[in-house]
Amino acid sequence: MATIVCEALTKRYGAVTALDALDLTIAHGEFMVLLGPSGCGKTTTLNLIAGLEEASEGRLLFDGRDVTWLPPHRREVAMVFQSYALYPNKTVFENIAFPLRLRRTPRAGIERAVRAAAEQLEIAHLLDRRPHQLSGGQRQRVALGRAIVRNPAAFLMDEPLSNLDAALRLSMRSLIKRLHHQLRATFVYVTHDQAEAMTLADRIAVMRGGLIQQLDTPEGIYERPANLFVAGFLGSPPINLIEGRIEDGAFRRAELRLPAPRAEPGREVVLGLRPEDVEAPAPHLVPLAGRVELVSPLGSDTYAEVSGPAGTSLTLRVPKGWRVREGEGIEVGVDPARLHLFDRATERRIA
Amino acid sequence: MSGAEDRRAPPPGRAAARRPVAPRLGRGLLLAAFSLLFVLYVAGPVAWLVSSSLQTEAQATAVPPNWLPPEPTLANFEAIFRAGERVVTYETRRQGDPATGGFLPTGAQNLLPSLRNSLVVGLWVAALNLLLSLTAAYAIAVIDFRGRRATLYTVLATRVIPDIALVVPLFLVIRALGLINSLAALVVTYLAVTVPFTIFILISYFEGIPRDLYRAARVDGCGHWGALRQVYLPLSLPALVAALTFAFLTSWNEFVFALVLTQNVEAQTLPIVISGFVMDFTTSFSFVNAAGVIAIVPPVLLAVLFQRYIVSGLTAGAVKG
Ligand SMILES: Nc1ncnc2c1ncn2[C@@H]1O[C@H](COP(=O)(O)OP(=O)(O)OP(=O)(O)O)[C@@H](O)[C@H]1O
Ligand SMILES: [Mg+2]
Repeated sequence: MATIVCEALTKRYGAVTALDALDLTIAHGEFMVLLGPSGCGKTTTLNLIAGLEEASEGRLLFDGRDVTWLPPHRREVAMVFQSYALYPNKTVFENIAFPLRLRRTPRAGIERAVRAAAEQLEIAHLLDRRPHQLSGGQRQRVALGRAIVRNPAAFLMDEPLSNLDAALRLSMRSLIKRLHHQLRATFVYVTHDQAEAMTLADRIAVMRGGLIQQLDTPEGIYERPANLFVAGFLGSPPINLIEGRIEDGAFRRAELRLPAPRAEPGREVVLGLRPEDVEAPAPHLVPLAGRVELVSPLGSDTYAEVSGPAGTSLTLRVPKGWRVREGEGIEVGVDPARLHLFDRATERRIA
Repeated sequence: MSGAEDRRAPPPGRAAARRPVAPRLGRGLLLAAFSLLFVLYVAGPVAWLVSSSLQTEAQATAVPPNWLPPEPTLANFEAIFRAGERVVTYETRRQGDPATGGFLPTGAQNLLPSLRNSLVVGLWVAALNLLLSLTAAYAIAVIDFRGRRATLYTVLATRVIPDIALVVPLFLVIRALGLINSLAALVVTYLAVTVPFTIFILISYFEGIPRDLYRAARVDGCGHWGALRQVYLPLSLPALVAALTFAFLTSWNEFVFALVLTQNVEAQTLPIVISGFVMDFTTSFSFVNAAGVIAIVPPVLLAVLFQRYIVSGLTAGAVKG
């Protein structure tokens, strides 16, 4: 159990800066998700926390203790990998028991702890098998078992569910969430799946190019994206981005006009509209009209590709109960309070 | 292996049926003939070695040759194991008649001691080689230290130099160390020759072991020794066996260094002593061949014992997956 503090943590591989002066405090018992596209430095961050890579610069503290130069086997963190990383020559039992054996736990204690972990993960009947005799989901449960069987300072998980199929991923996701509630331990979880990040995280650190773009709760990141990158990275289907200018307290692009009272005039901006932020037209809403080009029903929701005003192409969620057909016109209402504005040059959010 | 076969689209049934039988038969026969030829080429000398070792000198040197022993005899082997009991001098060696196989080469009594020397050297080389190359390969393959590329290239570069060029310098070094005519000299020299290659085999094998296993072991609580013992050692058994076999066989067969670095029965190995038999005034072929049979027994045993490992160990580095 630990509070993890990264202070200006930097990792360079030759000319590549994989991690650029990362400052991050992960509270005791917090579920922190590192989210970002491939190559943004998520795994590097985990490796540094685990001690598997040496920091080029900066410090790392566990509960105030400087562990920057502590080798991995002294850090007492547990790690779960996308590739499961089970020892192929050991049985499931021995895989889970391995960390305990290294700590010279008495035999009876090992037996008890392994059984308890296996029951919790519903793999008690697999203890005699070898990893190659298991399915992907079972393997990942064994890997989780190996992590929870001891009492680590933190759990580090590097895309643990990416190799599983969609249904299994959902059930494993709730399993991990349950584990976090039961263990009340610090979790650092890496993923590039935003749904996973949103459902699991207490806080999300969105990363790009070795830098944290935004650190906030899932709601905060979704409702108030700090910049264009974060806005575009979260949300499915992705947010609509429209370039334009601020004139007379409104966002303008040709004939398109949306109220933006707080933005300073003359500024070149990008307007963000999430597909799900449209409703049936109402007096307090700003109308937005266009022609339906493509309809994509997803069962729970239906999305439409709409060619909107000023040559824009928008993806919109069709309000409940509506029937739309390709080639027909559509008019929806937009709540101005739910629009996002970003500076075009700095890409930052305009408050 | 059958990749090319598998990738080829299967011929439609009708076309295959219509294909004339004669060419197919001809191809099969041709293949069989060439295979047989190849086997004869490779195994022929060995077969003759074994066969002639069971014949008297007269039978072994007869024209036309006796491909199979007319009356198999163990006299040659008996002579080898009894050589120590008979002092061979200028006089006594003439007592035996080369034509009957009773002849013993000078130095015949050195054969068994040299067999022991060869075994001792081979086992030490194999054991020390394993220790050295295992740790070196782990360090180079797994630990990211400054100068690791340079280390690897230096190790490999030492093997580009032909052994013969090293003979004189090595002789001088060994002499300066006062190790001439000792088994230690041979062990040290053979380690220098074999370790770079076994390091190379092990590195390519280690690099095929998923890096995440190393990471898992380290966070689970292993230091570098633990990771080596718990992950790399058990998962690279085939490569280890291949490396061990290679080191032992190289040392078992080596001739040039042994010739220069050893001078008498104290330290001479089997190849040196056997080659001495042929340099005698008269050569007893049946006796020399019996000695040859003894010389190939350990390698053959090794190969039979470990054949499964050796093949997979040597190819694993080449085709990762
Ligand atoms: N051993 C290495 N040598 C050189 N560059 C490396 C090394 N490891 C990582 N990098 C580089 O560091 C950057 C960050 O890599 P990292 O593995 O942390 O990305 P990631 O966010 O985990 O990506 P992914 O989602 O694909 O796993 C990448 O640009 C990568 O190319
Ligand atoms: Mg990664």
